[in-house]
Amino acid sequence: MSKEMMNLCEIVLKTAQDAGADDCRAIFVKRRFVEVQYREHKPEKVQEASTQDIGIDIYVDGRYVSQNSADLRPGALKEFVRNAIEAAKLLEADPYRTLPDPKYYQGRKEIDLQMLDPDYQKVTPELRHAMAKELEESCLQAGGEKAISVTSTVYDDYREESILTSNGFKGDIQSTICYAFAQMTAQDEGDRRPNGYHYAVDRSFKKLPPCEEIGRRAAARTLELMGSKKLATQTLPIIIENQDVERVLDGFLGAMNGWALQQKRSFLLDKKGEKLGSDVFTLIDDPFIVGGLGSSLYDGDGFATRKRTMVEKGVLKDFYIDWYRSRKLGVEPTTGGTSNLLLPVGKRSVAEIMKDLGRGILINGFIGGNSNSNTGDFSIGITGTLFENGELTQAVAEMNIADNHLKFWHKLAEAANDPWPYSNVQMPSLVFTDVVVAGV
Amino acid sequence: MGSISRRDFLSASAAAGGTVALAQIVPGVWLSSAQAATAGFFESEFGINDGLCKRALDTALAKGGDFADLYFEHTISNWVSLEDGKVDRAFAGIDVGVGIRTVKGDQTGYGFTQQLTEESILAAAATAATIAAGAPTTSARKFIQLSLNNYYPLETLFTEISLSSKLPLLKKVNEQCFALSNLIIKVNATLHDQQKRIMIVTSDGVKAEDIIPRNYISASVVAEKDGKQERSGWNYGGRQAYSYFTPEIIDSLTHQVVNRAVILFEAKQPPAGEMPVVLGPGVTGILLHEAIGHGMEADFNRKGISTYATMIGKKVAEPFVNIVDEGITPHQLGSVNVDDEGVPGQRTMLVENGILTSYLHDRISAKYYQVKPTGNGRRQSYQYTPIPRMRNTYMLAGDSTPEEIIQSVDKGIYVEDVSNGQVKIGEGDFAFFVSQGKLIENGKLTAPIKDVNIMGNGPKMLQNVTMVANDLEMYHGGAGACGKDGQAMPVSFGLPTCLVKSMTVGGVQKQGA
Repeated sequence: MSKEMMNLCEIVLKTAQDAGADDCRAIFVKRRFVEVQYREHKPEKVQEASTQDIGIDIYVDGRYVSQNSADLRPGALKEFVRNAIEAAKLLEADPYRTLPDPKYYQGRKEIDLQMLDPDYQKVTPELRHAMAKELEESCLQAGGEKAISVTSTVYDDYREESILTSNGFKGDIQSTICYAFAQMTAQDEGDRRPNGYHYAVDRSFKKLPPCEEIGRRAAARTLELMGSKKLATQTLPIIIENQDVERVLDGFLGAMNGWALQQKRSFLLDKKGEKLGSDVFTLIDDPFIVGGLGSSLYDGDGFATRKRTMVEKGVLKDFYIDWYRSRKLGVEPTTGGTSNLLLPVGKRSVAEIMKDLGRGILINGFIGGNSNSNTGDFSIGITGTLFENGELTQAVAEMNIADNHLKFWHKLAEAANDPWPYSNVQMPSLVFTDVVVAGV
Repeated sequence: MGSISRRDFLSASAAAGGTVALAQIVPGVWLSSAQAATAGFFESEFGINDGLCKRALDTALAKGGDFADLYFEHTISNWVSLEDGKVDRAFAGIDVGVGIRTVKGDQTGYGFTQQLTEESILAAAATAATIAAGAPTTSARKFIQLSLNNYYPLETLFTEISLSSKLPLLKKVNEQCFALSNLIIKVNATLHDQQKRIMIVTSDGVKAEDIIPRNYISASVVAEKDGKQERSGWNYGGRQAYSYFTPEIIDSLTHQVVNRAVILFEAKQPPAGEMPVVLGPGVTGILLHEAIGHGMEADFNRKGISTYATMIGKKVAEPFVNIVDEGITPHQLGSVNVDDEGVPGQRTMLVENGILTSYLHDRISAKYYQVKPTGNGRRQSYQYTPIPRMRNTYMLAGDSTPEEIIQSVDKGIYVEDVSNGQVKIGEGDFAFFVSQGKLIENGKLTAPIKDVNIMGNGPKMLQNVTMVANDLEMYHGGAGACGKDGQAMPVSFGLPTCLVKSMTVGGVQKQGA
């Protein structure tokens, strides 16, 4: 933890307690980020900036407020804290709102999650420009005559966070995120101009695949969308590509959240221990993946994190319940949200699975849609490719799938061997049988 | 960051409730002159005078460039919320900074800082300057203050509204929701206000200052019947004065939210497939936002990546279809007295008598197309570069009556409430999510429906608008936001009842099955 950041947290805590706060949590975040974007062989945008922000949670007489400010001048900071306390006193008391019991802070693992690129300070403007150029050039080359426009982006973000509470929690994280992105628009028939993209993200630029590969993949993904048609409404097996699974899974995860449960906005309300999906449906929450985008040694409440099985062979084992919601629900807290989420990968590739299935739709994107957290009903637009006899034959668009989460996950037949590495939700491609796909 | 294929319109109705914690700032504490008039705020509070602005602009143009601009911002945001019968949480945020941009052709250099000191400002300007590599360009010697119309006047600054005066509004929402139906088991309510002060100074000598208010009151309820739960949310707001939150508004809010939740127990997901869709008036204007609005943002067309890139001057709809995007609708969420590049608020016709007439421009695209900027250059905050964005997008009223339109449909659906939408710019394919509606059978509204995604294609949908009614209604919410290139922007929209003769309804079973 930087000494300066730690000092500021200490000053805020002391100011709060001197001004009458019973308890206080201070969080100080500093960021520096750089973005380089290329189009038509020249920089389209170059941006660089730093931010710093202090947040406080104040607990006074059973009352609670939270504030944040970018104005860190000492005088302004004092007024900021005093005002938070004055505001708190005007609110109604909430007996459930306290800092967590410090016992949950205990047991924090002492491992290096490698969230920080040790060589980050050596990243030069020249490297960023060279990467952006290579992303653009490789995408343009692979897109050929069909490419109307290609934009590439290289982005990196250095973040420092210090947290201190009046009941003994200390936390500090330094992390980096490095991101390379290419997107292409292609000329299709008539006025249709499909847009596709590909990206990679990791803790350091060195860990990313070659830019040339990312650019080429962006072009290939765009060309997959060419000549799309809307098919007749029918019931089919579908394969949801790894990077898109999260979009559907979100509707299920939302209902596992303590807020949804306590506010009776969850179709999973009384479903713990029940079998809600096929044996393939297992979800592991693992905060300890080295370099993982959702990795952390403590959670939003400061609880020492641990690996959890949330769903096991279709049976709902656990919920995401933070300290505050656990007190309102009268249950033990778990953790407030996902860290890294894994589903055990299968043995076969998507191509092998398609051969077996014969006919179906490989979904490569979603559009619009929503999920009702009370009923589990969802409906969401898709793009993808029809496969017949195991071969991709026809791009599809303007189609939709609709189902209910309490039925849908029973249709999960197989997981492919391709976990998506560029998210904290590292899902493999998933196969579902008998899904109504709406079209003409 | 992210793909242009994701353009979410975040739900207004989903915004209420537990994700928000809240707050209130005692007035005048951070700002010694909170009551200061619009002009001169950044000079009196932070010492930002014309001389410093000139030095910053000259630094931004030290290596050349067509123009540069400074965007100063000071924003105070408050939320206060009720849950389980108590107003027991508040959140407040204060943000301050300046964004500095250097533009050369279609290239942008950008830097920003939160410290409004000369040293920090000049450093950010030097970052912006790196986009160019030539001889210095000079900025204007004098800045002329724009005289602006005010489309969202406030009787009282939000910073002068006490927290204690907000609590009774939320209590009232809670009491009324429970009183309206004994099926209601949970009520969440939130009151939000934001007061953003901006000052724009450009190298071509324009100076503009504004106070931009934004607020809403939202309610979200859960109803329970026979062991099943349903939920509904609604909000009212925009760029309103505080006096907008009258007992009548609270009445309307609570009736809307309770009635909508209770009817959902009878509602089902409709059958799947292509069918006629009648859009009721108001919030359904999200259809225009997704189907045409985004595709008309000029950056997408300048780059040739919008399906509308070659359609200006062409017939895209029947002659009775007129679509507008305007920044000057009083108190609407998307209104701007001045855009974030110093261009005054105005009205732009997107479609006039069925002909596609104008894109939505920022300064870069206006220069590219050699037209005047349309006042659509907007940004989320000083941390972002301005890009073409919608304001309030709506269709003008037609001649039919809503009854005639419903009667004309043999079998289809009627859309009452939508929660979110998205468009793929290049293909023009869009989706919007219907949270509530009815089936139309033999020209009559019948069984309630819910939770269905509707898919269409922008240009095709426009051609398929076959009837437009005389009942234009604007969306009166304050909680919605449109996402583009990682920037969330307050916008609004409106629609008269209209008939689209065919769209794909993403239901659960095949029609007739």
